[in-house]
Amino acid sequence: MADPLIPQLKKALFGWFHPVKYSLEMWAYALQRISGIAVTGYFLAHIVETGNVVGGLDVWSIPPTSQAQDVWTATFRFLDNPMFDVGLVVIGFMLTYHTINGIRLTLTEFGFLQGRPARPDFPYEPKSFTKAQRALFWLSILFAAATAVYTINVFFGV
Amino acid sequence: MKESTKMLLHYITGLGIVIAGGVHLFTVFFTGPYVQNLAFSGGTFSVISVYRNLLLAATLELLLIFVDYHALNGIRVILIEFHQGAKWEKGVSWVLAVTGILLLVYGTRTILIANALT
Repeated sequence: MADPLIPQLKKALFGWFHPVKYSLEMWAYALQRISGIAVTGYFLAHIVETGNVVGGLDVWSIPPTSQAQDVWTATFRFLDNPMFDVGLVVIGFMLTYHTINGIRLTLTEFGFLQGRPARPDFPYEPKSFTKAQRALFWLSILFAAATAVYTINVFFGV
Repeated sequence: MKESTKMLLHYITGLGIVIAGGVHLFTVFFTGPYVQNLAFSGGTFSVISVYRNLLLAATLELLLIFVDYHALNGIRVILIEFHQGAKWEKGVSWVLAVTGILLLVYGTRTILIANALT
């Protein structure tokens, strides 16, 4: 092995969080990855959380409904905490961004909204990131912010 | 499976999540008071009522399958972009595949049992 694994991973990871020379496309890319990881974290927690609807980890046959209800109510009470609500606002932002930017990426994958190849001239703006794509990127940011506002309204009644 | 097939599935499950996740979020946020929809029972779209509805429970199962694949394939793509090598790629794929199957089993258990609760 040419490069030791851990330093290489470290370098790759810190590349994301050192966005000094990033173009807008790279910002979109980094945010897509970060939001993907964040939503995956939420997904894991959500599977565990909803597992409590039927009574938790050790229930593998149909339990008495009252037992399931008690476990779920206790879980719901535990989750009724402003800290979790703040987390959900962040997840709401991330999820909406990931969705709309993901639609942009899907369109690109199947050949829509592509830029034309051209001679690279100063200031070397990426030809792949067309006006329509830029609009979709900003739309995703706008909708993500709107989702955050909506979730703040739902959880905090502001 | 070819890498291009995996990525095609990634895009298909992504679009599936937009639809199934849309239904899921709609029943939680837009069908009545949010707190009532997260209560164990009592409303048309309370937790148990949703699981008992065959169509909504099937949507949740589909959503589980889609998100399971999409999330873990996404992590796989990120990890094999960080570091390249046949051994690394194989190890990452296996660990994530096993994780994905465990999550799928646990989530499906929740849906099946909750659907059968009386």
